[in-house]
Amino acid sequence: MSENFENELRRALRPVDAPAGFAERVMRALPAQREPEAPSPELSQQPAQRMMKRFAIPMAFAAALVLSVVLGQHVADVQQERIAREQQEAGLAASRELMQALHVTSKKLDLAYQAVQSPPPVDEEDHT
Amino acid sequence: MPDGLLTRARAGDAGAFAELVRAHQGSVFSIGWRMLNRRDAAEDLAQDVFLQLYRKLDHIESLEHLGFWLRRVAANLAIDWLRRLPHTATQPIEEGEQVAAPQKDDDMLMSRELERLLGELTPSARAVMLLRYQEDLDVAEVGAALDMPVNTVKSHIKRSLTQLRSRMIGAKLVVQESP
Repeated sequence: MSENFENELRRALRPVDAPAGFAERVMRALPAQREPEAPSPELSQQPAQRMMKRFAIPMAFAAALVLSVVLGQHVADVQQERIAREQQEAGLAASRELMQALHVTSKKLDLAYQAVQSPPPVDEEDHT
Repeated sequence: MPDGLLTRARAGDAGAFAELVRAHQGSVFSIGWRMLNRRDAAEDLAQDVFLQLYRKLDHIESLEHLGFWLRRVAANLAIDWLRRLPHTATQPIEEGEQVAAPQKDDDMLMSRELERLLGELTPSARAVMLLRYQEDLDVAEVGAALDMPVNTVKSHIKRSLTQLRSRMIGAKLVVQESP
């Protein structure tokens, strides 16, 4: 870019004069007395409020973390309990089935024993 | 301008503060005028800048710092205003408005055209060009005033100069140089 154009730019963009009476208008708009700079909103709050504002976000994170750990533990406990209950019920059912099978087998064996122990039928034609 | 003026203004001397305002009002008003393209808005902005200065006088370390601080606040305030009221960004300089400038008549046309073309740049690019060419700050100072990396300032300047130059050539206000 030519230096000449930059110089033309500088010449064309020389500062303009402020409107007449500008400084007087500024002076009239000034507050009557210079006040010390207002403390920042953070400093003007009570210590408890400041502490709350400063630690609110970390505290919320910590609370969320603790809550998620507790909830996670609770869900794991419930699941473990459910699995144990299901296993116990399955064991009981299997035991019941076994007992029933043994009972049936025992009945059959009784019948067979009785059949073996009872005397054979007498042939009436042979005695006559 | 003596440094004692700043001390007196800090101590509550209204006359000293008025002198500081008079010394810098042209610069601050010109930034507002060429950024916002409106005389009334430029005056409001300049007044706002000096009211801020009045509240922050204790933070001003020297007269040099004062000049830099005023330009920085004026440019950033103007960018904020343009972002909040985007319609003013493209508004042409009001017809018939004349602002007294210490320049010759033959510069007047070019100055008016440049002010119009500056209005077509983005607010940040416009602030960069004004701080560089109106206020004569170097690129590092422009970057510090606008919280902008030096390379960004340089690329704004390069792009804006190309754009302004081609528009000025189009308007036959600048003669195209032979390669």
